Amino acid sequence: MNERNEMGADKAFAEKAKKLFDESVEDLDGQTRSRLNRGRQAALEELTSAKPVWVHWAPAAGVAAAVVVAVVLWSGNLPVDELTPEASAADFEILLTEDSFEMLEDLEFYSWIDLDEDADETVETEDIVG
Amino acid sequence: MNACVANFAVSCESRCRTGVSTLQREQELNRFLAEVEKRALRIAEISVRDRDEALDLVQDAMIKLARKYADRTSDEWTPLFYRILQNGVRDWHRRQIVRNRVMVWFRRPGNEDNDYDAVAAAPDPKGRTPDEQLQSQEAMQSLEVAVGELPARQREAFMLRTFEGLSVAGTATSMGCSEGSVKTHYSRAVHSLRETLGEHWQ
Repeated sequence: MNERNEMGADKAFAEKAKKLFDESVEDLDGQTRSRLNRGRQAALEELTSAKPVWVHWAPAAGVAAAVVVAVVLWSGNLPVDELTPEASAADFEILLTEDSFEMLEDLEFYSWIDLDEDADETVETEDIVG
Repeated sequence: MNACVANFAVSCESRCRTGVSTLQREQELNRFLAEVEKRALRIAEISVRDRDEALDLVQDAMIKLARKYADRTSDEWTPLFYRILQNGVRDWHRRQIVRNRVMVWFRRPGNEDNDYDAVAAAPDPKGRTPDEQLQSQEAMQSLEVAVGELPARQREAFMLRTFEGLSVAGTATSMGCSEGSVKTHYSRAVHSLRETLGEHWQ
């Protein structure tokens, strides 16, 4: 009996709530109705201008590609050019020694010696042949 | 030659049929959305307590329904639409929690954001005496506050069952839970609301 009363009260409560809610829906102002109408038209345009599925994923794919490129650049995993010699500690030592700078200053002298040695070798060869 | 003409005619006919079916689909969807949009707005508004935000949520739900589920039967649209809307409302609440955490550092004391006023936002009278209108508005305002304070799942179950009039099965689809859970949430919501609003409201 008590349970039936409770159920009846629940039902009456729900009915009153529904009635009040419906009234508040009917009382929506013109501006709100107009905005709803515009939203609906925007939704219906989705049907007429249906785009392929991939178009919706294009921005995400673009971002993913950019992230992959950034990660590759960041981690330095770029393909190494086989012709480029690897820099070693010895190269830096050569560059930093004082002798190297002296050699650069006397570059003309060293090139002259080099040419002179070549000329001597040529002469010696001709002598042997001759 | 005749075969070419026949093929062309068949192609035109199928294109026309597709066009007609798209038009019919658009009309059906338009009718459905026009029928549901106002109630959906009020349900969203009670959940987020802001009409502009509710309008955005309803529009998003309409667009997603049209984009993803326009090819479903019209019977499926109601639970699907409310499922999209409820997900939107849940996401909105999550964003609000994060936003509030951030904003608490920048908010000046005494600058509370209590702009929402259900009475001020209430619509114009329609054939009711001012007393009746005021009573209805006050009762609805109390109901809105009480419903807004319910736990999220109870609020969803109550609004979908009572305001939208969905069946238990439809509500379960919209909420993404079992029918048993819907019954439990709904029953708890009604008892809690009756307790909060008291005998005078009824």
